[in-house]
Amino acid sequence: MSRRRHTPKKRGAGVTTVVVLRLYIAGGAPNSVQAIANLEAICREYLKGGHRLEVVDVLEHPGRAMAEGVLVTPSLEKLSPLPTANVVGNLSDKAKVLLALGVKDKAQ
Amino acid sequence: MSLQNVLSRLPKGGPEQRAIEAGEIDAIIDRASSNVILLPAARRALRGLSSDARRGLSSDAPIANGVLAALPRKDYLALLDGLEPVALTYGTVLYEPGELIAHVFFPVDCLVSLLTAVEGHPATEVGMVGREGIVGITLALGMDVSSIRALVQGTGTAMRMNAARFRREFERSLPLQRGLYRYANAKLALARQTVACNQFHAVEPRLARWLLMTSDRLASDEFILTQRLLADILGVLRAAVSRAAGSLQQRRLIRYRRGKIRILDRQGLEAASCRCYTRIEA
Repeated sequence: MSRRRHTPKKRGAGVTTVVVLRLYIAGGAPNSVQAIANLEAICREYLKGGHRLEVVDVLEHPGRAMAEGVLVTPSLEKLSPLPTANVVGNLSDKAKVLLALGVKDKAQ
Repeated sequence: MSLQNVLSRLPKGGPEQRAIEAGEIDAIIDRASSNVILLPAARRALRGLSSDARRGLSSDAPIANGVLAALPRKDYLALLDGLEPVALTYGTVLYEPGELIAHVFFPVDCLVSLLTAVEGHPATEVGMVGREGIVGITLALGMDVSSIRALVQGTGTAMRMNAARFRREFERSLPLQRGLYRYANAKLALARQTVACNQFHAVEPRLARWLLMTSDRLASDEFILTQRLLADILGVLRAAVSRAAGSLQQRRLIRYRRGKIRILDRQGLEAASCRCYTRIEA
């Protein structure tokens, strides 16, 4: 996985590296759908394409969830840049997601 | 395995438990049982979804049941939202003779035995359905009452559809009708062959045939079967099963330990089985 460095942009576009994310979901279950929508909105607003997101459906790939130590879905993993972070739930708590992504909230 | 047990295995007071309490979790991945367990709200929601892609049965995924796989894509997709995945556990009775058929089942990786009882004797197996077929073919033949007992012999999953929806789909889809008539004919041929087989062939070749058929339908060389059940299935005394299994084991064709059977030499077992095996498979 490559880690590209960008020069810091204006406030709000605070992306300095490509953020690599993995979201584990359970098919079209309500919280899973909501988590995808919430995460996409956050990525659009804060990461502006400076990220890579892989969505893993545990109903289709249960083996991956077991192997990768996932306990519940929806579950978001930030894999890169280090340190890694994890948020569980439908990602409606934006502050918590931003903290995990290592991105400063525009409102603050 | 209860949901409570699974919940108790999550880290105490951890973010997972808090998210569950907040209703933000759809599924728990239970490593102890290697299962993905949907929480009730998610299960209900997934049942109600109409899009096949959204229910985790991706329309691109290989179709595991033979009857469904043989349908043209359009007909298969039309069926999908009426199908729900269910886990069937060993020993569950799906139908009793004389009972109204509420659902049909398309086994994915489970095995269902069809049994008929004669007064004063334990039920004898007259048919077996695995991933190649459907349980509840009677509905397609115009009857809504089961004439047999359908007993889950191998734990696994199946796709279930309620009887009313199945009847509608059956009337609507010509490929489904053709597929099921072909299947019914194959079942009839199998039943006829089984009658002759039970009449004339010895227990050992019949046991070998039955093990091969079970293995084909489960797509596995290992499965669990007690001697008592095998005796009921073959319609013989337990001692006879014990002798026959012992002989197959001595010839290193199978391993039979504490109810767990493993086929060690498939070709050898085919040679030991009666010729009904190949005929039935054809």
